[in-house]
Amino acid sequence: MIEVKGLTKYYGQLAAIEDVSFFVDKGEVLGFLGPNAAGKTTTMRILTGFSPPSRGTAVVAGYDIKSDPIEVKRRVGYLPESVPLYGEMVVSKFLRYVAEVKGVGRGRRMAEVGRVMERCGLLEVSRRVCRNLSKGYRQRVGLAQALIGDPPVLILDEPTVGLDPRQIIEIRQVIKELGQDHTVLLSTHILPEVTMVCERVLIINRGRIVAQDTMANLARGTARTLEEVFIAAVAQDAAEDEGAAPVAAAAGGGSL
Amino acid sequence: MRNSWAVCKREFASYFTTPIGYVVVGIFAAISGLAFSASFLFYAKVSVNPAMYAYSSVPDFEETLLSPFLTFCGTLIVFIGPLVTMRLLAEERNRGTMELLLTQPLRDREIIFGKYLAALGMLVVMMAVVAVHLLIVSWYVQVEGAVLVFGLATVFMMSAAFFSLGLFVSSVTSNQVTAGTLTFGLWFILYIVGSFAEDLPEANPAPEAWGETFRNGVGFVYDIFRGFLHQLPIDFHAKEMAKGIVQPEDIAYYVLFAAFFLFLTFRSLESRKWRA
Repeated sequence: MIEVKGLTKYYGQLAAIEDVSFFVDKGEVLGFLGPNAAGKTTTMRILTGFSPPSRGTAVVAGYDIKSDPIEVKRRVGYLPESVPLYGEMVVSKFLRYVAEVKGVGRGRRMAEVGRVMERCGLLEVSRRVCRNLSKGYRQRVGLAQALIGDPPVLILDEPTVGLDPRQIIEIRQVIKELGQDHTVLLSTHILPEVTMVCERVLIINRGRIVAQDTMANLARGTARTLEEVFIAAVAQDAAEDEGAAPVAAAAGGGSL
Repeated sequence: MRNSWAVCKREFASYFTTPIGYVVVGIFAAISGLAFSASFLFYAKVSVNPAMYAYSSVPDFEETLLSPFLTFCGTLIVFIGPLVTMRLLAEERNRGTMELLLTQPLRDREIIFGKYLAALGMLVVMMAVVAVHLLIVSWYVQVEGAVLVFGLATVFMMSAAFFSLGLFVSSVTSNQVTAGTLTFGLWFILYIVGSFAEDLPEANPAPEAWGETFRNGVGFVYDIFRGFLHQLPIDFHAKEMAKGIVQPEDIAYYVLFAAFFLFLTFRSLESRKWRA
């Protein structure tokens, strides 16, 4: 469903991501992990067509992001990291606007907006102005906006940041349900979240993919937790960069 | 086209869900209303006693009152226009909604036309205010149809052309104040350059000592340059047109002006694809 081939993005001289390649199957939930500034958001922004890659390309839902960006955007629901919203707009009006832009027919628009509002628990704030929403509700509006038109691919950039524990559980539940019939690429810092929601993980560090494997393999192998795997992968990457392989071995690195 | 309409509706609605729409239309209504009252009173005094104001008879209503008033309205719209256009793209960039906008299945031209249409919507609202004055006038006076139609068309075209400049400036910055100031500044520069050009001598500035062919060449380029500067101010083409005297070049000026800046806006938005 998502096929990334050698994506590279430079900001001036700095390579935000370098030669990133991976694959997400239809109906799979892929956890996209990495420390801050590892290139998660950059990769997601390229996949959603917000910024173009310097090199490489990706095929999302059967369309190339470079040659068919509009077709890709029709099939992708995107929740940006900072959840930008039009502050002065009422929630239901905002979602209706998104539905119109996404090409949901006039007759189905109301029903579609109702559906996503119910799914994301927004019915009680549907008449409120986005500016006055709490962080948790903003996050939900962002998610609702991504779900409109029922796109087959969902790209969610840190969907549970800033939520209270109860909201986190709710959102995770929603994502889990969505994972049954959608392809989801989910970035996060919160490792237990990945354990709960994702079938496969991808660890990126300083712009390069340092590890990827299924959660099942991970559980079956050593008794290592995801934390240990994450720290080992990141440490190994740093060590390789300095040409000090023994350090990586000492840190317990290796394939996932 | 349907997508442009969606963008336009959202943009236009946001003028009136924030104070900016009311402020702009309110200020426009107040100033144009005062100006209209003042020029109407003046015309009334003149028509009672033309001789006192150096007129031989009661002056032409359209020429003395209506056309100057409409030209004034156009200038006024251009004056407060930066307030309408500065937010169009700069605000999206500033609050991060650009990310939302550019990841929706919208083409760049749909975004640009949608935004431009929304700004033109504000223009129509302001012209509706002018129309109220004109309706009151036509109740009392038999107004010449051509003056009315072309006068309003002039105000519209002049402002619409200018709004395209504002849209372009808004697309190059993420700060609304910068966008507004720059738009206003550019308009003022165009205006001043035009009056400066009026003082340029008509004669060829090349010295006699230069060879004749070269002199003629310089003179030719100078003439084009002078003519160009002279025609630059956005209200230059409005004065005659507001009287109902329509020249194709005046219409062409406004259409090309708008097309040029819409094109630049398109390029500016597209530049994200090759800039880091």
